[in-house]
Formats: sequence, C-alpha cells, structure tokens
Amino acid sequence: MSVRRGSRLFTLALVAACASACGGRVDHASRLSFSGSALGPEAEVLRGQLARFDEAHPDVRVELRVTPDAADQRHQLYVQWLTGRASEPDVLQLDVIWTAEFAAAGWILPLEAFGPDVEDFFTAAAEAARWEGRLVAIPWFVDVGLLYWRTDLMDAAPRSLAALREAARGSIEAGATRLGLVWQGARYEGLITVFLEHLAAFGGGILDAEGRVIVDEPPALRALTFMRDAVSGGGFVPSSALTWQEEQVRFAFQNGDAAFMRNWPYAWTLLQDAARSRVAGRVSVAPLPAADDGRPAAALGGAQLAVNAHSANPSLAWELVAFLTAPEQMLERARLAGQLPPRRSLYETRALEEALPIPIAQVREVIDVAVPRPVTPVYSELSEILQVRVHRALTGQQAPEAALRDAAREMRELLARSGL
Amino acid sequence: MPDPMTRPARAEARLGWLLVSPALGLILLVSLGPILATTWEALHGHDLRLPWLGRPFIGLANFVEAAGDPRFLAALARTVAFAAVSVPIELALGLALALVMHATVRGRALVRVAALLPWAIPTVVAALIWRFIFDAQAGILTASLRDLGAIDAAFDWLVHPVAAWVPIIGADVWKTTPFVAILLLAGLQTIDPALDEAARIDGAGAVRRFATITLPLVGPALVVAAAFRTLDALRLFDLAYVLTGGGPGTATEPLSLYAFIALMQRLRFGYGSALSVTVFLLTFACALIWVRALGRLDRYAAPNEDSGPVAGPHSGPSKGI
Amino acid sequence: MTRRPIGAIVAAAALLAALLFPIYWMAVSSVTPESRLFEARPLVPVSVTADHYRALFDERSFLIPIRNSLVVAGSTTLVAVPLATLCAYALGRLRMRGKGALLALVLAVSMFPQISIVPPLYLILREVRLLDTYPGLVLPYLTFSTPLAVWLLTGFFRQLPRDLEEAARLDGASRLRALYDVVLPLAAPGVATTAILIFLYCWNEFLFALSFTLGPDRYTVPVAITLFRGRYQVPWGQVLAATVVATAPVVLLVLAFQRRIVAGLTAGASKG
Repeated sequence: MSVRRGSRLFTLALVAACASACGGRVDHASRLSFSGSALGPEAEVLRGQLARFDEAHPDVRVELRVTPDAADQRHQLYVQWLTGRASEPDVLQLDVIWTAEFAAAGWILPLEAFGPDVEDFFTAAAEAARWEGRLVAIPWFVDVGLLYWRTDLMDAAPRSLAALREAARGSIEAGATRLGLVWQGARYEGLITVFLEHLAAFGGGILDAEGRVIVDEPPALRALTFMRDAVSGGGFVPSSALTWQEEQVRFAFQNGDAAFMRNWPYAWTLLQDAARSRVAGRVSVAPLPAADDGRPAAALGGAQLAVNAHSANPSLAWELVAFLTAPEQMLERARLAGQLPPRRSLYETRALEEALPIPIAQVREVIDVAVPRPVTPVYSELSEILQVRVHRALTGQQAPEAALRDAAREMRELLARSGL
Repeated sequence: MPDPMTRPARAEARLGWLLVSPALGLILLVSLGPILATTWEALHGHDLRLPWLGRPFIGLANFVEAAGDPRFLAALARTVAFAAVSVPIELALGLALALVMHATVRGRALVRVAALLPWAIPTVVAALIWRFIFDAQAGILTASLRDLGAIDAAFDWLVHPVAAWVPIIGADVWKTTPFVAILLLAGLQTIDPALDEAARIDGAGAVRRFATITLPLVGPALVVAAAFRTLDALRLFDLAYVLTGGGPGTATEPLSLYAFIALMQRLRFGYGSALSVTVFLLTFACALIWVRALGRLDRYAAPNEDSGPVAGPHSGPSKGI
Repeated sequence: MTRRPIGAIVAAAALLAALLFPIYWMAVSSVTPESRLFEARPLVPVSVTADHYRALFDERSFLIPIRNSLVVAGSTTLVAVPLATLCAYALGRLRMRGKGALLALVLAVSMFPQISIVPPLYLILREVRLLDTYPGLVLPYLTFSTPLAVWLLTGFFRQLPRDLEEAARLDGASRLRALYDVVLPLAAPGVATTAILIFLYCWNEFLFALSFTLGPDRYTVPVAITLFRGRYQVPWGQVLAATVVATAPVVLLVLAFQRRIVAGLTAGASKG
C-alpha cells in the first residue's frame, strides 16, 4: 500500500511541477493528442469535433492517434504507452471496464482539481468513472443491453424471463422464426455482459459491494443454469450463438431469423434501414426482463475520457475532455454515431429524440436499471476467468455449479494475489 | 590424432572462427540470451497490470503455481495429444503423397507446385481458409455434410469441444503433409530402381516390395520428418489462435496459446515466463529423444558420413510457416 | 513405367484436389459478392466482383501492412543471409575444432519455440523503445532466421565440389580470395534459395509480429488479416481478399523457384 501511495504522491508532485513549469508558456500548449476509436461514423464525428476545438483554440492543434479496432488490442497499446510514461496521448478514450485499472496504476489523473461537474450524469455511469472515491474520468457515451423484439409477432415485450422463454419457443414452434432469442455468446467480453444481465435478473452478481466474490452463490447458479438450458438441445437460443459477437447476432435478427435479440443501441439505426434489413419498422426495444427473484437489468457499457498522468499540459487536456463531453457534442454523437449520452438532462429535451430515433422513454428506463461491471483494477483478468468458465458451462464441458465454483476460486486467488 | 595442429591448419581454424563469430554472436545475443532471461523472469513475480507489487524474486513459486493450475495441465495434455494425433496422420499421408510424386512422370512440376503451395502460404491464411470452409453458416464442408444429413442443422464445429479440433487438425495436416512428402521423396529417390525391378522379377508383390525395400530405405527420412513434425506440433499456436481462439471454453487451447494469454493479455510476465519455459523444456526433451533415435539409426544407415548433423537442413521449414 | 494402375491415377488426382481445393475456394470466394457468400453456391464462380479488393485497399489501407511485411522480411533476409553465408562457409568447408558442437547449437536454437523468448524480448524492446518499430521486429526475426540460414547454407557448401577451390588455392589465392572468387559464385544458387526461404518465413511469421507491434501502422500482413475482426464483426469478403493478397507473393515465389525450394528443403536429407 505504501508503494502505491508513494507512487501516487510522486505523480501528483510531478503534475504540480509540470503545471508550474508549463504555466503561461504557449509553445508547449500548442499540441495535444487524443486517441480513441476511429472507425466508420465514430471517426467522422470525432474529426469534426476535434477540428472545432482547434478553431476555438487558435494556438492549439489536436492530433488524432489511430488505435486498433479490437478492444483488447487497444488496451495493450495503452498499457504499453502508459507503463513507458509516455506523455502522449494527452487524452485517452477508455472502455468503462479499464478505468479502475488505469487509475490504480497511477496512469490517469484524478480530475477534481479541474472542478468537473458530474451532477448531471447517470449515477451508474458516474460511479464507473470513480476509483477509491475519486473522479478519474468523465463518461462520454453509454451503452446498455436492450431486448429487441418483433412487433409483428407479438403485442408486447415479455415481462419475465419465463415469458421470454415461452414466447421464443412459441415463435420457433409456430414456424414464425427459425430461432428464438439471439445474443452474443462467443468467449469474449460480450459474453460477460450477457451473463451479468442474467445474474441481475436472478438477483445475483459478480462481486458484492465490499468487493467479495459472490459468483458461486445460488442466484448466480440459477442464472447460469437458465443460460445453459437456453442454448442446449431444445432450447431457444441457437448453439451457434456461442461463437457469435454482436454483428453476427444482428445479422441473424436483421434477416428475420429470430424473434428476440439482445444487443446494444447501435443496432437500432441499422435495423431500421429498409434497404438492408428485413425487419425494418417491425422492431421495438424493452428492458431485458427479470426472473421472479431479480430485477430487470442491463449491462452498462460505454466509454469515458481520461487525462494521461504524464500529459505535458493537463489543464489543456482537461479542456478538451470538457469540450467533448459537453451536451452539444454528445447530441451530435448521438445523431451521427447512434451512441447514447450519459447526461440525464438530455433525455428531458426533444433534441435527443430528434437526434436519435430510438424510443427514448424505453431506453431511459433501461439506463436507470443498468448495472456496471465490477469496478476493480483486475477486471480484465476477472472477466477472462469468467469467460472461460461460463463458456465451458454453456458448451456442456462442465456443469454450471462446478464452473462457477472454479471461477469463484480462481477469482478469489486473483484478488488475494493482487493485494487489493 | 594426438599430434598438434600444423600452422596452416591453425590459420584455417582461426579464419573459421573469424567467419563464424558474427553470426554466432548474433545467435547468442538474440536467442540464448533471451532464453536465459525468460528463465530468470520466471523466478519473479512480475505483473505489469499491478505495478504496485513490484518485481520480487519468488523462487520457483510460479512453477509451483503452474503445477496446480488445471488450465495449464489441461493445455499440456492437449498439446501432447495434438502431436500424437496429427503427426502420424501427416506421416502416412506424406508417404502416400511422396509415392505419388515419385511415380509421376508427366506433370511432375504440377504436382510439385501443388505440394509446395499449402506448405508455403502463411499459417494464418491457412487457418482462415479452413475456418471459412468449416463455418457453421457459410462453410462449404458444413453445408455439404448438412445436405447429406451427416450432421444436424444446428451443428457448429466451433461450439463442440471435440469437433473444434477437426478444422485445426485438418488445416495442420493439409499444410504440413507436403513438407513431409518432400523429405520422404528425397529418401525415395535414393532407392535404386534396379533393386525394385529385381524383386519384381523374383515375383514379389507390390505390398511386399513396399515393406521390404521402400520402407526400410525411406526409414531415416521418415524419422527425420517425424522429429521435426513433433517438435513443431508441440509449439502449435497460429492455427489455434486464429481458428478457434482456444475455444469453446479452453477446449482447443495449446500450451503456447495459454502462455501467450498469460503474457500478452493478462500481462503476468512472471507466470507467463514460467509457462514459456515449460514449452521450451517440453520441446527440448522431445528433441533430445529424437536426436538419440536418429543417432542410433544413423550409425546403421550411414556409417561413412564424416561428421556434423544427423538430420538435414530442414529444421526451419517445419517451423513457423 | 507405362503400366500405371487406374487406382494410382485416381489417388493422385484426389491428392492433388485435396491440396489445391482450399486455395481455389479462397480465391473464388474472394470475388464473390458479399450477399452470396453465405448461401449455397456452385463450385465455379457465377457472379464476380472486385468489391472486396477495392474495400481492402481503399477502406482498410492494406498497403500499409504489405509495406511493413516487405520491409521487415526484406531487412531480415539482408542481415541474416550474408552473416550466415560466412558462418556456413566456415562450418561447411574449413577444418576447425568444435564444428559439430556449433552445428548442434545452431540446430537447437533454430528449434526454440518462439513463445519461450517472447517475454524478455518484449521487456527489452519496451525498455529501449523499439516496440512497434521495424528494428523491433527485425531483431526478433533474426532469432530464427540466422540459425536457419546457417543450417541451410552449411548443407549447400558441403555439396560443392572441392577441386576448383583447391585449384585456386594452389594458384596462390588466399582462402578469402578463393571464397570470393570461386566458392561464392558456385554457392550463389544455394544462397539465393536460402534467401527465398528466409523471406518466406518472415513473410509468414505471426507470433512475434502479434506480440511486438502495437497498432495498425506497424502490423504485418498476417497480424493485420487476423485483427480484421474488429469490435463487432468478421468481414469475410475482405478477409478472403486479404488472404489472396497475402498468398500471391508466396505463389509467385513457389512458381518461379519450385525446384530450388525443394532442393533447399532436402539438401541434407539425401546426405550429399
């Protein structure tokens, strides 16, 4: 612990020294670099907004650093930069699940000094941006798991998991669709979001509020058993889904093959494109339903912006963060990239509804019940343990009970080893 | 020869060392150095994701952890099993291909090119091709089997813990059989056709001639091929990474892939190094066994060979590509 | 040799088909429109499109990984082969003690599992800021290409007849002069073959490139293709087009140098 505190003090001292050294010197302030996802429409929004920031700050030039598309590749790149104490990029786009890791390692700056205002943000999103009580990032956009359902096959979304199961089976038996429900079940982070939603639906979780492992408790066992039964013979989720990521799931639903789909909000706009989608105009969204003893829940995903602890100009970097997370920029992002803003106030305006044609009221309902993934510096490893065990259970290599028992044991060992 | 070297001989040896030293220095620097460094790293607790823990010396703790890590033990068993299954298939098919190549008179170049292509293309590409052929939705093989009724409509190779090995082994066999065949072909070409002809005149059947003439003469080449294929199979990485990612669960995860995950995804450099060292030791032990086997064979097969390596310079071709 | 049973011909044809079909199918699929890629289709192409290739170069900037692979494979070959030639000449043609041990060492090193040297190489390259650079890949590539080249070339040098070199020596040429004037020209085909093989290995290498590059700017071809699978999808059309592009140089080399390559692979197996 003392090493950690020491390194944090050192970081602060370094920042202070740098701030005083750089204060008032314009030439040092003239370059800022940003790195994040720059794929398709996201890239267009980002370039436009960075250009506007440049215009507003004539003595500043913001550079966009290209990073890999795949999340774990980008993670590796960031780790490489930050362990090497690189001062660039100044501003980083972080997946919500990385924030605790980067903060604990002292790679990103606590932000209170800049006087951020996070009152307006959804509680779950703001919580995911904190580490040990300190705000270390600003939520940029939120992703939540939604249940997409076919309005031409039923009148209302199922209100319980049992009803969802019956409706999905009914659709297959009636020959209305080839598949019942589809979700992303490949062995990767996406599987954990689905598992987390089932956990919440049965009243369970991965870690409790004190950070203890509870993934081997009865609610979790019921959740995993439900998922296993769903994909095994006579179930209502195709076993191929265990190799699918989001896009394969969307293709299956978009082709009209499935009655239900669990996916992120990005799919909405694509599904409504009649030129490519066979279900355009016949889709709605709802929260994923709960079992009797749980609550409807959605996995909270999305991205946050953070400032590199070794940035040569933290205050300017903060200005860029503040600019990108301002309401106008978020609205534009919603309009062009289909990504939901984490600011509550925007959901009370018509502007968001105009920007994003998704049924806002339902989405708002889902965000309110969204559950974050465990906020811990070793999240990636925890998740990898769970991915393997859950996938083993779903592919019939291990009984759910044994899988969860092993996962819990490995997770406890990890937490003990990491000194947390 | 106890007598001291003559002057020209000494000069020759000096020149020899001079010429050898740059390459040798490089090899020592970039290969032997790192392997020692890996071993040293394996004796430390070093987790890049937990920088506050530092890098303490922990002795053999990483190896002890590995010995109790079911995922490691399973990966070890799986890696050995993969070698035990794929290498015999490759040797058998390689021998068949070599006999075909040997018997071909017209279209020799075509056969040679056909054999060289799978061997020469990147393993990653081979993995992607086979993944595409076995794809549950679009794969031509899956679709054909489905049409024949051999598999269920919902069948997906990559979801089944045993079936997921089929595309991996298929790709490996497809890609490395030609290499085996080329090695064996060289062995076949040393066989005197007159010997075969004489046996034929004596009334020996094709099977008998194969068993009594071809097989013994091609034996050393077969052992060489088996050695290189085994060593290569034990470091299986590319195919598993690209084709299945080690899934479902970890059902197709070989040792190298688990070590890679420990290193580059979990960033546990101490533990990952320990796993890497075990891959090294496994390969090394296997190499020793083969070298002994070859040495024994060599004494019978080529008593007048002057010195140097028992095998031919085909170590590399078996690796990587 | 005229009496060949029909069975052997059928077997030969089947083997040929098994060897070539996957490559053929890859090429055909890479020009098939995305919409038809996932449905049953005949073995011969019906509709042909260059869309995937266009997307590959326009949207994916696939020229960057091609450039990276060429630079890395080319530089490695240029460093490894000359060094190895000198070394192999000594090992193949000079009398010196410890030759057997040296060759055994070279063979042993060339069989190192790559993963076993990834951790220190990663840490060292990170320390000297060479991760994600060309030298940061060439250096690891030398670990397998140098011993491999030494091994291959030693085989070639052994096979060369001794008389010409001896004659040059009798004429008063020094060893180095004889090497330069007589042996090297004779060994040129072997050196070229070795260079081709080394280039192929580097072009195909995956694990080091995956471990020591960090972003699209430095990905080599195999890494770039594998990581096409972005956040959400497998764009099969583009992946297949990329595999064809990655295979093309290999096919050209094989077509041009098939005899040489076979000779290279078997130079020592037949024991001179």
